[in-house]
Amino acid sequence: MKKFIAIVGSNSKNSTNRNLLKYMQKHFKSEADIQLAEIKDLPIFKKSPEKTVPEYAIELANDIEAADGVIIGTPEYDHSIPAALSSALAWLSYGQHPFVDKPVMITGASYGSLGSSRAQSQLRQILDSPEIKARIMPSSEFLLGHSLEAFDDDGNLKDDDTIKQLEGLFEDFLKFVAISEQLGGATAANMEEARNFNWEDNK
Amino acid sequence: MKLVGIAGSIAEQSYNRMLLKFIAAHFSDQVDVEILDINDIPMFNQDNDISQGDALQYIARKIEGADGVILATPEHNHTVPAALKSLIEWLSYSIHPLDGKPVWIVGASYYTQGSSRAQLHLRQILESPGVGAISLPGNEVLLGNVKEAFDADGNLKDEGTINFIHSTLNKFLKFVKLINHVDQEDDDAWKNEDLEANHPVDTSVTNVDKNAKDWVEQAAVKTNAVDGKAYVKLDRGLLTVDQLNWFLKTMPIELTYVDDNNQFIYYNKTMEGKKMLASRTPDQVGDKMTDVHPPRAIPNVKRVIHQLRTGQKDLVAMPVPGNNATKHVMHYYKAMHDEDGSYRGVNEWVLDLWPIVSSYLKMTGKMLVDDPNNQVDANAGASQAGAAASADTDASAGASESAEETETVDVDANSGASES
Repeated sequence: MKKFIAIVGSNSKNSTNRNLLKYMQKHFKSEADIQLAEIKDLPIFKKSPEKTVPEYAIELANDIEAADGVIIGTPEYDHSIPAALSSALAWLSYGQHPFVDKPVMITGASYGSLGSSRAQSQLRQILDSPEIKARIMPSSEFLLGHSLEAFDDDGNLKDDDTIKQLEGLFEDFLKFVAISEQLGGATAANMEEARNFNWEDNK
Repeated sequence: MKLVGIAGSIAEQSYNRMLLKFIAAHFSDQVDVEILDINDIPMFNQDNDISQGDALQYIARKIEGADGVILATPEHNHTVPAALKSLIEWLSYSIHPLDGKPVWIVGASYYTQGSSRAQLHLRQILESPGVGAISLPGNEVLLGNVKEAFDADGNLKDEGTINFIHSTLNKFLKFVKLINHVDQEDDDAWKNEDLEANHPVDTSVTNVDKNAKDWVEQAAVKTNAVDGKAYVKLDRGLLTVDQLNWFLKTMPIELTYVDDNNQFIYYNKTMEGKKMLASRTPDQVGDKMTDVHPPRAIPNVKRVIHQLRTGQKDLVAMPVPGNNATKHVMHYYKAMHDEDGSYRGVNEWVLDLWPIVSSYLKMTGKMLVDDPNNQVDANAGASQAGAAASADTDASAGASESAEETETVDVDANSGASES
């Protein structure tokens, strides 16, 4: 069975993005082992001469390294991903590069109707940057609008069409992960590039 | 024009901060840029709202008081640094100081792209409804290869780059005027300044008639105020009330305290009213602002206090009518704030600058001559405060033919100020 790390992109106690990932964990338990990962205790990203990385970020990087893929659930703050998620991704690409060629599925929930669409498109650009270089599943978007009303008391999605869409995307993601495993050709080179890339000195 | 500059990087070595410092220093004759530090702002978290705390209130007040904001962003992972994003999230959650504020985005990076993608993200972020900032369209300032861009003194080396930044700054300053002009409602906010002192603050003494001639005595009874030999602990020192009085009464300036409820509550009674540069009498203390100003001065007083209260200005200086070659009386109005940065009233001081200038000339054997290139609008203080000064005062009018005769220099600085 495939093993995925599901990153909760919010540092809030009450997050419908966390609810959505929990639902996926439960709903797809026969197809994949989904482990939720929190980012709320990570400090704000700051470079240091010693390139110190918080212990927790190293553990999380190891978990991602060992997993077959990553699911990121992002809210939208001010048309973009939360600073907390941006900061976590910065820690996870600072002297360590667990995302290189790692298959990633993006989900997003929002209270309003747009379902974090703009945050997701920025997240794709971020995941595509040289030090992250994730393999983002193309042409797939899961936007859960009006997320406060989307779940029943047991934490299950209420709307059948939404569930069907999510099931279809997850099925695609499993296939995408399988295909991705055969696309190892450039991985070594990508990893090398990520290691050598430095936002401070591109020589 | 007053701007605040925020560098998006919290790294110790920040070229974006350097770029802001360069802009602040190099164009200081044109614009006043104050650079704010965001290093101590914690990660945004909606479960722990610290919007009302000191750090964010300080930044919010600075932004609200400025005409515009310069954001200098590096690029990390194709986007803005988390620290900058976190700040913007705080400034769009329960407080919204950037709303309607003109913003100029600049960015420096170590390689050729010069933070282009981060700047695009930042534009999207700034125009989201919670932030509501209005960024200058186009005019991207992308400073690439930044390591080679500055000399040892922190100046940009390339003349073309400096010229480009200058021309963009000029466009931004026009943009700021335009955008702030659109916000007509805010332009009229000063009219709401309550000179009737009807909004008591935590230090106001209530239930004493503000017009009472013995307001001080009555209020002292109400508050069990100490006097005479009682000690008062101050920052930094310990004095008796007597000592405090001796000290304040010998200040070579006339001091007046107007609290944040626009009530006149103190002056350092140095001499009797009619001998003062700005007359005050003992029975006036306790009065509301409307009772110590003639009606024609009221709009100006409202404007000045509003500017100080909102942080648009920290100090307003204006010459008074009647100044001449041997007298140059100035009124200064300085905003006072408590430890939390909240506005607590006006510290007004009045002094005649001429004795100072005169003694300087005597000591140094120098004399005043007219500057043939003089472009100073001697009314600046008064017209900024909204007085009716519209004449283009030629400060050299009286002296242009005999620049060496100091006696004839007659700076006309009086035409506008209606305060007194």
